[in-house]
Amino acid sequence: MRTEALIEAEGLAAGYDGRPAISGLSFQLRAGERMALLGPNGGGKTTLLRALLGELTPLSGELRVEARCGIVPQTERSQLDYPVSALDVATMGALSRLPWWRRPGRREREQAAAALDRVGLRPLAGETFGKVSGGQRQRVLIARSLVQDTRVLLLDEPFTGLDRPSSERLEDLIAELTGEGRAVAIATHDLEQARRSDSVLCLNRRQIAFGRPGETLDVGVLEATYGGTIVELPGAAGRAILPPHHHHH
Amino acid sequence: MLDAFQLPFVQRGLLEVLILSVPAGLLGTWIVLRGLAFFSHAVGTAAFPGLVLAGGLGFAAPLGAFGAAVLFTAGATGLRGRRNGDDAVTALVLVGCLAGGVILASDVFGSGSNIETLLFGSLLLVDGGDLALAGGTAAATLLATLLIGQHWLRAGFDPTLGDSSGPSAGFFDAILLGLVALAAIAALTVVGALLVTALFLVPAVTARLLTERLLHWQLLSIALVAAEGTVGLWLSVETDAPPGATIACVAGAVFVLAAAAKALRSRPRAAAPAAAGAALVLLAAGCGGTADGNPDKVDVVATTTQLGDFAREVGGDAVEVDQILQPNTDPHDYEPRPSDVENAAGAEVVFASGEDLDGWIEQIVSDSGSEAEVVDLGAGVPIRLPGESSGDEASEFDPHWWHDPRNAEAAVRGIERALAAADPAQRSEFARNADAYLAKLRRLDRAIARCLDSVPPARRKLVTDHDAFDYFANRYGIEVVGAVIPSQTTQAQPSAGDLSDLARTIEAEKVKAIFPESSLGASAAGAIARQTGASAEHTLYGDTLGPTGSSGDTYIGMEQANAEAMVRGFTGGEHGCAPKP
Repeated sequence: MRTEALIEAEGLAAGYDGRPAISGLSFQLRAGERMALLGPNGGGKTTLLRALLGELTPLSGELRVEARCGIVPQTERSQLDYPVSALDVATMGALSRLPWWRRPGRREREQAAAALDRVGLRPLAGETFGKVSGGQRQRVLIARSLVQDTRVLLLDEPFTGLDRPSSERLEDLIAELTGEGRAVAIATHDLEQARRSDSVLCLNRRQIAFGRPGETLDVGVLEATYGGTIVELPGAAGRAILPPHHHHH
Repeated sequence: MLDAFQLPFVQRGLLEVLILSVPAGLLGTWIVLRGLAFFSHAVGTAAFPGLVLAGGLGFAAPLGAFGAAVLFTAGATGLRGRRNGDDAVTALVLVGCLAGGVILASDVFGSGSNIETLLFGSLLLVDGGDLALAGGTAAATLLATLLIGQHWLRAGFDPTLGDSSGPSAGFFDAILLGLVALAAIAALTVVGALLVTALFLVPAVTARLLTERLLHWQLLSIALVAAEGTVGLWLSVETDAPPGATIACVAGAVFVLAAAAKALRSRPRAAAPAAAGAALVLLAAGCGGTADGNPDKVDVVATTTQLGDFAREVGGDAVEVDQILQPNTDPHDYEPRPSDVENAAGAEVVFASGEDLDGWIEQIVSDSGSEAEVVDLGAGVPIRLPGESSGDEASEFDPHWWHDPRNAEAAVRGIERALAAADPAQRSEFARNADAYLAKLRRLDRAIARCLDSVPPARRKLVTDHDAFDYFANRYGIEVVGAVIPSQTTQAQPSAGDLSDLARTIEAEKVKAIFPESSLGASAAGAIARQTGASAEHTLYGDTLGPTGSSGDTYIGMEQANAEAMVRGFTGGEHGCAPKP
């Protein structure tokens, strides 16, 4: 499936205050593809997402973003107490399309309602955002991204804390979105998630590897990705996590 | 019960509160949503140097305050950079602003009482400009909320919703911070910089307990500000408390009630005592009475305790004297209370001391809608000493003229004339009272002169808290060596350099005693005394009489007590004055 690349990075470095937090990134994300960003906490996954959103300008290398990106962030604690409904949150997506002095009107709210419908949450449109379940919050935020009219969705640890049914619904939704030709990048710790993707980018302050999961995810790459301190045993049924000196080849 | 709202100054205060309820209620919700509580509290206080500059250079106070607030905002956000909600930086810039204001106030411009009023607010002295500022702020806030409120909402929800089109989040934040600054300035007149949060934050936090949606929250916040402002204003007139503080208390009580009610819904037993307690607080706050005038008597308002004493002596039973300042309160620290304006509204004659000591009386009288003539007794005294030369707050004459009994005589004559004009039928009684009192004043003058003559002139060296005794010194041949606060207003603060100069002077001149003033409380005088070995045990009555029962509870008692204290201090406690005249 050689379709157009929506995002293409070549030797990209990005960071804060002129100091790179990630470097040496070269990858493509094509329409209809699902990419996993695999790496430890502090490995630079969020920095990369911010660079893709255009919030950080590249310190060196090249980054071409050919389509509008929308992010589905992790829910902050403060958001649980925020006085907005699911529909309000979905409507926020319209703000980036409207001129800054225009407030979203009926048209935008209808689009937001349609997007909630699309993610299966129409009945919860009037519910307070903080009161719905974690999986439902993820889908509300995906609806917001749809209202934003984005072709690339960036999901930051979307499966963290979800139960199995919620995870499965989210999986289905992601599959639908890529089926429509959207690209989805998912930051994750979860090796199984990474295996289900079309491509995987292993990140630990620099690019460790990029490619198809089957060809990329070997023990050496995983040790390098997780800093050589802990590693998930590939193929282990219980996803055991062991320090690297525990396994023998 | 609602008589209070028939008074014109209360009506204007009410209008101001109602207009301000729109920006206060709306911005309150944004302040809570965006975590700007500390900023909004700080921005009003940070306007202080702007107020001082405006007073010193003579431009509009709100302009100065807003300028300072904008600089504060720019400084705080600029330093903060990316790290949002960093209260430490806000505090840092706030401290800089306050320190700058204090230095400006005490060392560059001297200082004036209107700064106090602006820091603490004065809802009863609202004028057309204040109303216009509040109206403009309300319109700007409403417009901004309608147009870009959604951006504020989203930025508070999650700051990293990336979209590069249109202005950055910083642009919208700047508008919000600017509006908060503007509204804080507009509210300065009502509650003062130190209680601005009572209008902005407390109602919004209270309303948040009861609502889930932004729109409901905003409407309820506006309604709460309006209701709490109205009730607070009414309560302040009924109980004669300062309006800003009363509104703050009402807002606090409503919050406690709302929190208790919310807790009651989830855990009925535990919350009941809290609700009962809050209701008790409200009831207690609601109690209080008002005084009413006697129709047969001449209603007189006197600003200072000395003038009140003179007016009672001359008027006798034929006048009802409402005295604004009370014993041992510092006139430089005065804040108008509802009863003051109310009394002024009903007064036939108002006696003022003049100069910057009670300059606020003109505004109280004009705001009360009173037709009363303000008699500036200080303007008619025969002996006038120069005031402070430096700073815009400097006055032409030293305002403490009553410490020369010859000036007191002239003031008593002035009071007699004004009372006779107000009630010609009682003319002869006023004349009789005045003559009797003047005889006492002359005896007082001679007795003090005799007493001080018992001290060799070289030992009559006076060091006081502030420069309030030049008239007394001038009359009785005393040399004023220095003052702890080297200013005729108590608002100034001595610098370390001033104090060490003073200590050197005290040692060089072999000064035996430093005289603290009764109305100022323990001050640097004690510290200087300890350092130099001088005594600081003899206090003087400077700006006000002492409380009833003290040696200085009348003008004559005050001057006698001062003479006694000075002679004891000058002689190292060897002797005081001869038996009383």
